[in-house]
Amino acid sequence: MAAERELQIAPLVQESLVHNTRTLNNLHSLTASLLGVAAGILGLESLAGFAFYISFSLLAAVLFYVLRVAPSSLPAGKSLGDTSRYFRRGGGFEFWTGGLMGGLAGFVLTWTLFYGLVRA
Amino acid sequence: MAQVPAQTIPRDPQLFYWILFPITVVMVLTGILRHYATVLMASSPKKLDKKTTREQRSLAHGVSVRANHYVLSRSSFTARRDALMTAYESGAFLKDQDGRGQPPPNPMNDPAAMEGMMGMMKNQMAMIIPNTLIMGWINAFFSGYVIMKLPFPLTIKFKSMLQAGVATKDMDPRWMSSISWYFLCIFGLQPVFNFLLGSDNAANQMAAQMQMAPPAGQMFGPGVDPNKQFLAEAENLAVIEHHSVLDGVEQRLLEGIKA
Repeated sequence: MAAERELQIAPLVQESLVHNTRTLNNLHSLTASLLGVAAGILGLESLAGFAFYISFSLLAAVLFYVLRVAPSSLPAGKSLGDTSRYFRRGGGFEFWTGGLMGGLAGFVLTWTLFYGLVRA
Repeated sequence: MAQVPAQTIPRDPQLFYWILFPITVVMVLTGILRHYATVLMASSPKKLDKKTTREQRSLAHGVSVRANHYVLSRSSFTARRDALMTAYESGAFLKDQDGRGQPPPNPMNDPAAMEGMMGMMKNQMAMIIPNTLIMGWINAFFSGYVIMKLPFPLTIKFKSMLQAGVATKDMDPRWMSSISWYFLCIFGLQPVFNFLLGSDNAANQMAAQMQMAPPAGQMFGPGVDPNKQFLAEAENLAVIEHHSVLDGVEQRLLEGIKA
């Protein structure tokens, strides 16, 4: 009840939240496709490819945080690693790992394509 | 343990230009076509007559008073609530006043409801027809080849799916035929469409099927009795425990100045 009242006193603009989430999703899907291109050209197979995907999408999330979120959220009094200034849904978990599942299909597609073109 | 040598299959490099490339291009173009077909076929909202509009808007009014009650002062909220509840319970906003208490008409006989269903049917058709056509096209022209190797191993169960039309028993399930490239395209082209058409596109059937779940704002679907909705909304309004954002604002202001 207290949190609800707090939200009513300082309301969130729904459009901005949607816009932030959409920007993040676009970044994730584009990153996943490009990672697939890279993994295919490098000729990574099976587990190495998936490990490559996971580590580099997490790296992309970290870079996004450091370059875009942190410069304005740290002075606003948020603690390090807290993305709640821009992303409310999912409590941060979605920010860091949300791209992994969403981009997986695109990653597999481009990975297969470029692996097929370069190696097989 | 002896290492099993990796299977290699010499393939004609022309396979890429004559199978892989056409399928990919066709998939991308179909997605774009589907997007624009959906945009063009979207039926403009039908004009409602005065009584129907009043019925819908007055219910929406009640909902928004309930959702935003905290920006109203107590007296104005009470005035609104009382007026709305009286009107809801007496049925003043109903489209046909005499129809209260009668069972709702069969949605199949209602032309307005049929219109809505036609719209959904059209969307479904825009999904199904191109898929069937492309599946048939790929099966007719490109079945029976192995075109690529997946970069990750799969279990033997995938063999019948990935190697449809290639009846070679000992082949590694990693080799895939053109139909499996088609499936990969279905699932994986969303980023491409995002890039080409903007992110709220209608190009991918997977995303469209997720939106098939009826939207939450569907209050006036066919076969719903408006009188019952009004009564329920009156009840919802009655149980609201009103508080205002201005409650205790002086205290908050003083605390803000002090800090």
